Amino acid sequence: MDLDTFRKSLDDWLDGHADELAPAYPGHGTVELQVEQIAKVRHLTHDAGWARWGWPGQVGGLGGSGLLRAYLSEALSSRDLVESGLYSMPEVLGPSFITFARPELSAAMVPPLLRGDEVWCQGFSEPGTGSNLGMLTCRAARAEDGWRVTGQKVWTSLAQMADRCVLLARTGTLESAHRGITALFVDMATPGISVRPLDTMHGEPEFCEVFFDDVPVPFARTIGEEGQGWAFAMDLLPYERSTALWQRAAFLHRRLQQLVEAAPPGALDPTALGEVAQLVHAFRARSRATQHRLAAGEDLGSVTSIDKVALATVEQAVFDLAEETLPDEVLLAGGPGPERWRKEFLYSRAATIYGGSAEIQRNIIARRLLELGNDR
Amino acid sequence: MIDRDDLELFERSLRQATERATGAELDAALADLGWLDVVQAEPAAGIPLLFDLVGRSLATSSALDRLLALRLGVGAPAVVLPAIGRWEAPGAVDGDRLVVAGLGTANLAGAPSALVVAAARDRHLAQEVDTTSLDLHPVPGVDPALGLVRVTGETTVGGEGQPVDWSSAVAWGQLALGHELLGASRRMLELARQHALDRVQFGQPIAKFQAVRHRLAETLVALELADAALGAAWLDPSPESAAMAKALAGRGARTAARHCQQVMGAIGFTTEHDLHRFVRRVLVLEQLLGAPRLLTRELGTEILERRRLPVPLPL
Ligand SMILES: Cc1cc2nc3c(=O)[nH]c(=O)nc-3n(C[C@H](O)[C@H](O)[C@H](O)COP(=O)(O)OP(=O)(O)OC[C@H]3O[C@@H](n4cnc5c(N)ncnc54)[C@H](O)[C@@H]3O)c2cc1C
Repeated sequence: MDLDTFRKSLDDWLDGHADELAPAYPGHGTVELQVEQIAKVRHLTHDAGWARWGWPGQVGGLGGSGLLRAYLSEALSSRDLVESGLYSMPEVLGPSFITFARPELSAAMVPPLLRGDEVWCQGFSEPGTGSNLGMLTCRAARAEDGWRVTGQKVWTSLAQMADRCVLLARTGTLESAHRGITALFVDMATPGISVRPLDTMHGEPEFCEVFFDDVPVPFARTIGEEGQGWAFAMDLLPYERSTALWQRAAFLHRRLQQLVEAAPPGALDPTALGEVAQLVHAFRARSRATQHRLAAGEDLGSVTSIDKVALATVEQAVFDLAEETLPDEVLLAGGPGPERWRKEFLYSRAATIYGGSAEIQRNIIARRLLELGNDR
Repeated sequence: MIDRDDLELFERSLRQATERATGAELDAALADLGWLDVVQAEPAAGIPLLFDLVGRSLATSSALDRLLALRLGVGAPAVVLPAIGRWEAPGAVDGDRLVVAGLGTANLAGAPSALVVAAARDRHLAQEVDTTSLDLHPVPGVDPALGLVRVTGETTVGGEGQPVDWSSAVAWGQLALGHELLGASRRMLELARQHALDRVQFGQPIAKFQAVRHRLAETLVALELADAALGAAWLDPSPESAAMAKALAGRGARTAARHCQQVMGAIGFTTEHDLHRFVRRVLVLEQLLGAPRLLTRELGTEILERRRLPVPLPL
C-alpha cells in the first residue's frame, strides 16, 4: 500500500463514515468522553483495516510504511475526531514495546491496544524524579515467582482508565542509577495498585498518582531484560517526541484555522497571525521530515528533541494568539466553544513540561547535537 | 534525476570552488562545473547546494542574477533587484520611459547590461538595459564585502518588453537567499560553539554554563525549523511557501546572530574574529527580496482576506 493510495481511500472512507465516527459530545468533552471516543474510532478504523497499516504483522498489523499510520492520525486529528494527545499513546508506547518485549508478549498485548480494547499508561515519573528519570526509586524486588513492585508514580496520564501500565522500576541499587532500571508490563487490575486522579489546571483529571504496594508482576512481563529499562526508555522517548507529534501539527493547523474563522474583523493582527502561521508551517515541515526519516529506517534519538522544543513553542504561540484575539471566549464565557478554547489554552501551558521539559530538551540538544560536552 | 553519487561529487566540487574563489573567479568555476545546468535540471538540488556553501564561505557571485534570469526565461548577465526590504519589481513604466529604483549585486556592477522588470497593470515586463544608461552607486554600508550597488535611472525603452513571471522568479530568489542565510547562520553557530569550548572562565570552558548551552541550543532549533521550511518549499516552490521559508530563515539568522555574538563576548564584537562578517552578511541578506517582517505581515493579511491558512503541507 503506498501513501497516496492510502490517503485517497482513507479519506473516502472517512467521508463515507462521518456520522458513525463523529463524537457524541460538543466541544472539548471530558477526558472520559475523549477516551471513549478514541476507543470507538480505533474500533471502527481497526475493523476496516486502516489502523492496522504501518504496524508489523507480528502484532496483527498489515505492514507497510509507518507513514500510513502517521497519515491516519493526521486525518483523524484534522477532522476533529480524536483528541490528538491522548490518541497518540500507542505511537508513544507501541514501537519500543514491540522492539523490547518478547515476541509472544507483544503478539498478545499490542493488538488489543491498536483495536481500542485497552488503554495503556506510561509509569515513568515519580514524586522525587521528573526530569532526573535515572534516579527513580519505585522498586521491583525479585521473589520466587516474579517481581514485587512497591513505590509511587505520578503524572501518569489516563492511569484511572488504564488496563495496563508500562512501568519503569528500580531493580538494582540506587547508586547503579540508570543501569539498575527495568521496564515491566503491569496489569492495572492487580491487587496492591491504587490510583488517585489529580485535578489539573485545565479542569480534566488527565493524570494520576499511582501507588504500588507489593504488587506481583510475573517475570514473563519483563519488557526486555532486567536492567534494560533505561535503554527501553531512551528508545521510547524519541517516539514520544516525533511520531506522536505529527498529528499535533494537524491539530494546531485546524485550531489556527478555526481562530481565523472565529476572529471578529480587526481582532487579529496580521503580523502576529503571519508569524504564528509560519511557525505552524515550519513545525509541520520539521515533523514531516522526521516522519520520512523514521520511515526510511533512520535511528533518530536526540534529534527529536528539536521536534519537541518546536512543538512546545508553536503550541503555546497558537493558543497565546487565540487568547489575545478572543479574550472573552478564552477567559470568561461559558458553552462548549469557549470552554474548549479555554481548556486547550490552559493545556498548552504544559507543552514545555510533558514529554521532557523544554530545558531538558535544550540540555540534550547542547550535549548530543552540538556536542558541547558534559555540563558538569 | 541526477544520481546521488554525481550529486555528491558535484557538491564536493562546489565546496572547493566556494572555499577558494569569489566574484568573477567563482563565476568561472561555476561555469566550468555546469552549475546552471544542474539548476535547470534539478533546481531543488542545485540551488540549495550552492547557496548554502556561499553563505558559509561569504563568497559573492553572479549566481542570484543567473537564477533569476533563468526563471524569468530571459538570458541576461544581471538582474536588478528590488529596493531594500522589498520584493516588488524595481522598474516602473511611464509611457516609453522606464524608471528604475533598486539594488544590484557586485556582479551587476561589472555587467554590460541588466534586466529590469517592471510591473505593468496585471503583468510584469522585462527590459534589458545597458548598465551605462543606469546610475550605479556602490553602497558599501554594513557589509562592504557584498559589493551591492544602488541602481537608479530613467531610460527610454524601444519595445514593450517581454512578459515574465516575476513572482516565480522571486520565489526562487527568496529560497536561494534563505539557503544562503542558513549557511551563514550555521557557520556562526560553529564559530560560537568552538569559542564556547575553547574559552575558559571561572576555571572551566564557558560551554559548561547552561545559559551558554541553551542559547546555542535555541539557535539550532531556529535553524532547523528554517531548514525544514526551506526543504518543504522545494516540494512545491509556490510564492507563498518560498516567502514563509525566507521569513523563517531571516528570523533564524537574527536569532543565530544574537545568541552567537553574545556567547563570543567582546571578541565577537571585533573585526579580529570572523563572526562580524557573518553578522553583517545576514543583516543584508535578510532584507533582500522581502524582509521577514514584510513577508510575515503580507502572509497574515492574505490569510485574513481569504479567511484560510496556506494549504497544509501533505505528508
Ligand atoms: C500533562 C502532563 C502529562 C504527563 N503525562 C505523563 C505520563 O503519562 N507518564 C509519566 O511518566 N509522566 C508524565 N508527565 C510528567 C512529565 O514527564 C514531567 O512533568 C516532566 O518530565 C518534568 O518533571 P517534573 O514535573 O518533576 O519537573 P522537574 O523535573 O522538577 O522540573 C521543574 C523545572 O526545573 C527544570 N529543570 C529540571 N532539571 C533541569 C536541568 N537539568 N536543567 C535545567 N532545568 C531543569 C525543568 O525544566 C522545569 O522547568 C506528564 C506531565 C504533564 C504536564
